[in-house]
Amino acid sequence: MTTTESVRTLSLTEIGPAERGTRPDEVVIALSPAFGDPFTKTIVDVPHAEVIRQLLAGIEERGGSARVIKVYKTADLAAIAHFGAKLSGSGIAVGVLSRGTTVLHQRDLARLSNLELFPQAPLLDAEVFRMIGANAAQYAQGQSPRPVPTRNDQMARPRWQAKAALLHLKEFDCIDKDRNAVEVEPVITKVD
Amino acid sequence: MSLVIGVDIGNSTTEACIAEVEGSGIDRLASSLTATTGVKGTPANTAGAVTAVRRALEAAGRPSDALATVLLNEATPVISGLAMETITETIITESTMIGHNPDTPGGEGLGVGTTVTLEALGEVEAGAPAVVVVGAGADFDDVAGALNRALERGVDVVAAVMHGDDAVLVVNRLSRRIPVVDEVSAVDRVPLGMLAAVEVAPPGRTIRTLSDSYGLASTFDLDAEQTRQVSPVARALSGNRSAVVVRTPAGDVTDRRIPVGTLTLTGSGRTLDVGVDGGADAIMEAIGRVAPLTDVHGEAGTHVGGMLANVRDTMTDVTGQPASEIRIRDVLAVDTLVPATVRGGLAGEVSKENAVALAAMVRTSRSRMQAVADALSTEIGCETIIGGVEGEVAVRGALTTPGSSVPIAIIDMGGGSTDAALLDRDGAVSAVHVAGAGELVTKLIDSELGLEDREAAESVKRHPLAKVESFFHVRHEDGTVQFFTEPLSPHVFAKVVTVTPDGLAPVPVRGPLEEVRRVRREAKRRVFVVNALRALVQVAPQGSLRLLGSVVLLGGSALDFEIPGMVADALAPFGVVCGIGNVHGTEGPRNAVAAGLVDAYAGTAAGPTPVEEVAS
Amino acid sequence: MTAVEPRSDSTVRTSKRTEILEARPVNLDGFVEEWPEKGLVAMESDFDPQPSVRVEDGRIVELDGRTRDQFDFMDTFIADHAIDVDTCEAAMATESVEIARMIVDPRTSRADVVALGRGLTPAKILDVVKLMNVVEIMMGIQKTRSRRTPANQAHSTSAKDNPIQVAADAAEGAVRGFAELETTLGVVRYAPLVAIGLQVGGQVGRGGTLTQCALEEATELDLGMRGITAYAETISIYGTESVFVDGDDTPWSKAFLASAYASRGIKMRFTSGTGSEVQMGNAEGRSMLYLEIRCILMAKGAGVQGLQNGSISCIGVPGAVPGGIRAVAAENLVASWMDLECASGNDQSFSHSPMRRTSRLLPQMLPGTDFVCSGYSAVPNKDNMFAGSNLETDDYDDWNVIQRDMQVDGGLRHVREDVILQVRNKAARAMQALFAELDLPAITDEEVEAATYANSSDDYPDRDVLADLEGARSVMDRGITGIDLVRVLERAGFGDVAENYLKVLRQRVSGDLLQTAAVLDAGFVPRAAINDANDYAGPGTGYRLTGERWEELKKLRHVTSAENPEEEVV
Repeated sequence: MTTTESVRTLSLTEIGPAERGTRPDEVVIALSPAFGDPFTKTIVDVPHAEVIRQLLAGIEERGGSARVIKVYKTADLAAIAHFGAKLSGSGIAVGVLSRGTTVLHQRDLARLSNLELFPQAPLLDAEVFRMIGANAAQYAQGQSPRPVPTRNDQMARPRWQAKAALLHLKEFDCIDKDRNAVEVEPVITKVD
Repeated sequence: MSLVIGVDIGNSTTEACIAEVEGSGIDRLASSLTATTGVKGTPANTAGAVTAVRRALEAAGRPSDALATVLLNEATPVISGLAMETITETIITESTMIGHNPDTPGGEGLGVGTTVTLEALGEVEAGAPAVVVVGAGADFDDVAGALNRALERGVDVVAAVMHGDDAVLVVNRLSRRIPVVDEVSAVDRVPLGMLAAVEVAPPGRTIRTLSDSYGLASTFDLDAEQTRQVSPVARALSGNRSAVVVRTPAGDVTDRRIPVGTLTLTGSGRTLDVGVDGGADAIMEAIGRVAPLTDVHGEAGTHVGGMLANVRDTMTDVTGQPASEIRIRDVLAVDTLVPATVRGGLAGEVSKENAVALAAMVRTSRSRMQAVADALSTEIGCETIIGGVEGEVAVRGALTTPGSSVPIAIIDMGGGSTDAALLDRDGAVSAVHVAGAGELVTKLIDSELGLEDREAAESVKRHPLAKVESFFHVRHEDGTVQFFTEPLSPHVFAKVVTVTPDGLAPVPVRGPLEEVRRVRREAKRRVFVVNALRALVQVAPQGSLRLLGSVVLLGGSALDFEIPGMVADALAPFGVVCGIGNVHGTEGPRNAVAAGLVDAYAGTAAGPTPVEEVAS
Repeated sequence: MTAVEPRSDSTVRTSKRTEILEARPVNLDGFVEEWPEKGLVAMESDFDPQPSVRVEDGRIVELDGRTRDQFDFMDTFIADHAIDVDTCEAAMATESVEIARMIVDPRTSRADVVALGRGLTPAKILDVVKLMNVVEIMMGIQKTRSRRTPANQAHSTSAKDNPIQVAADAAEGAVRGFAELETTLGVVRYAPLVAIGLQVGGQVGRGGTLTQCALEEATELDLGMRGITAYAETISIYGTESVFVDGDDTPWSKAFLASAYASRGIKMRFTSGTGSEVQMGNAEGRSMLYLEIRCILMAKGAGVQGLQNGSISCIGVPGAVPGGIRAVAAENLVASWMDLECASGNDQSFSHSPMRRTSRLLPQMLPGTDFVCSGYSAVPNKDNMFAGSNLETDDYDDWNVIQRDMQVDGGLRHVREDVILQVRNKAARAMQALFAELDLPAITDEEVEAATYANSSDDYPDRDVLADLEGARSVMDRGITGIDLVRVLERAGFGDVAENYLKVLRQRVSGDLLQTAAVLDAGFVPRAAINDANDYAGPGTGYRLTGERWEELKKLRHVTSAENPEEEVV
């Protein structure tokens, strides 16, 4: 489950406007404006390729299907995830910010509510992203998974609070109010 | 005209009824309810009684100096205890078998080959059947790549056993579809170089070969004697969707009884030992043989022995009676199943082990109500009279239920014990108390569902279930659907919930609603219904339920949403009219004793009749 | 993947010294470059507005370069409620450097600088404090602090929300000298029991200790109105309109809430701090300190008596930029200068480095503030439900030594072990009796024993949480108030504790705690800016650590006796 020696890179190939899906068990993964490009890794250097790969693996292992969309008009996590949920055939979406902050959302929920929230980006590693994907698939199938255990670290504030703010500001800079969300094909390439 | 308050100190609640009495005329003003402080019938009750009196006064809007008399029931201490012993355990030796149920095994079918690690797969000769063992930390893409390369080389990769939750991912990437069992936490302990079989059934099905003795015999080419030896393995695996069996020289699965001591039962001049591991039926049957029971002892160092000693000690503490004089007069044993981790398992396998839950009850006639009455007089500053024994007053209170008639029996199902009393045509009252009530039900629900959360178990016991099917609707356990205009809380999404007055509360189980409902109803049946019948038989004329006439349910559990129905159904075949008490046509099943005390004071009730205590 | 992972890159050869330095805890802290365009800058930014004010017909029509039609609601609120229209044009005409010098110059009285401050705009105030280095800022705090006698505030919480633990630690905190005690919850439903524990423990430790329970606003107000708590603090305000709107609030709604407290005679202050706006990505291109000054003026305009500031929960942001801790000291100065009670931060986990934790503390501790910490953790940090403080129970002795070394009063004192055990035990017993009287789930003798000797929540027997939560609900359902608790304590034989509690409740009627920086002294006399006014006017004036109090602070756990060097002073 850990990352291997080899490095994987991510490119997101645009395949059309983001539209509403019809598969009743699908999960939409909704990415923030700077995800994958220009940023390539989370606040604790988990490669974005690995974030996507593990989310998809979690969904696939649980027998689900997934679509990935990229949102440009907002960098607000709740808004990104809620937008994804409204396009999702199951109503379930995973929203991810470039710095790693992640939320599981459902279309009938209020925007600021959520199914599971992972606010402390520094504590999210590949293993957690896999579990988030697995839970998303289970919610989409109408099951009730055990919530992904959340971690807590009081000393995350002195180390990461300012970097998180900086990444947040950078992400805001990548907002393009005129650009509609697109569906993307994640292409993960292994570089040995 | 005088202002009086009847106070009923019960096992868990203290009730008060305030009334103006003029001659035999009664004007009931208000009632109140609070938790009983301390063990019933002991001086510690004073605080709760004061609270109940004060609240009744407040509710009636009367000052405390207007109060003329407080009437107390003659309450006697009842102490109950609860213990559970697990009496079976499953042990796997030499890591012979993996019988856990990962949520998502990969592929399907049966693969038989020699166990080999992923790292050593390159050294396996072409054509050899291999069961690949994948350790922790391996990436699914890398694993699939390695297996595909081996297959290309001609190695007969027939199955895999993995540490991570990767089975579907790996199988989806293979050139050949093989059965894969994953989430095996101690995969490093799988014996290598041994013949092993891996079986995965299609979704919704269970395995057929490894869970069958002759299936195992064919797979591993066993003779009749060896087949007999492996039959416990087959049994242990039945019902699973996936399994792994490794053939090792001394591998075995045993299902062993744990000796948990004996109960020594005394009664009818006889003493009988019964092993707790014999199960509830054996215990209850032995109790029947020594009936009426006069005392019970348990073996020191066991849960049951400790519980019985504790019950005795507590009674000694509250009454000052020496422990040697305290007799345990009733025990209820119930069989149950508890999920337990299998010893020697490689994947944290859990098996449902047999357990016995035991409730015991002790009662003494040594009441210290005079001390309570004295303290209450000092605190409130008015006369306090002790009058009327519980069972008697309660049965008279119950008789004020519209439509009831003599002979009348009552059942009061509380937290620790179940009480029954009968008023016969001659005006005689007999009463009985048996062990086991609400707390035992909670414990059974908690352990059988594996909740380890008393709050959740209590909620399951008290409230009906529903399944949250979307943010806007739930399906109740009776099949009806309820819609909501505001979305429900995300905490309950897709969950089995209890429907409480405060809203929906999630039940932390993964199984379906039907399973939770079955466990709840079965727990109530095995305790409340069994005890209602057990107690009524003891007070019924000639022990015949047919001669009871009417049965009125009192107390908190009479307010339960299904217990009254379950008890009534159980009594219906005996021609008994059974229903929920409605004291004075207004109070429901509450306040029978408190109101009864006031009635007796005003002289409206028949004069006191001596009580015949059947079981204490 | 936690914050304690070393961050060195192992591929390049480094010196042994570098290895040692890399392993120092300070290198686990995060530091970032400034980005002024986005507001990621402490206090020196070209993107902050220039000071200006224009009054027409008795109304401010221009504020810091914006005319009224360009005002956002913060500008409107500040212009209409926080700035003295009569004096502002004259005040604004005073050179910033002149004002800065007045703040530092002991011969200019506090009253004069406060009066001048009433006419200044946020940009002007920023312009003034930008001229001051950290020592001058400390000089300013020493002079402008409202109350003459400094004090301190503690957090008393429990990772298990155990009300007995909260009571015992509150009692110990109170006897050690904290004037105010604050709690919050993991499981919110536990609040009534934990708030009762805090109040009872506080009154056992030292009669007159004030308590509060940080919760969502409605419940916090309810507990205050019932007299279960004595004050409120966690009413957050922000420096930009967009952040306010995100929280469904406005300056007016916060002012309305403040008046709800005042109408019941309950002390309350707002909370704000540098870094919150930029952390939420809505700094609107202003520096952290500029936005905090807007918060301070908003608080002043709302008429609250005080403010908790000093970055608070966003301390990681100013802590990571150059000059950030200077800016944090400057925000405390501005709050004091604007004549508000200042509870000055030092209340959140700040650094992995003990040295840096101490240096961050000195700008408030050395000059003295109304509350040096707005939450010194009086429980081990792992029990701190405010996510950890800059100081915790392990630091008690260090704190006492620093007070003695520097001859400064940080509000605490060393207390002998037997006294501590006594108050902890009494607090637990008072809770035991009170729970019994109120039909709440029993507290066992074993729990009382544990509370007497415990350090953290691990040292207590587990409670029946279900029963406790039912009990907590019954406290609310039965409408139990502070007066009921006083009555029950009296009945249960804790007459002295009941009396202390009743005297705190009486303040609700007299309203004296609504005065700026009010606390109750040992004789239950309210000490506030009005009767214990800061009269600092240079060397030899103001609060001096002398006399009986200095003798008290000379005591430590281990001091060798001069009379008999073979023994220690007891």
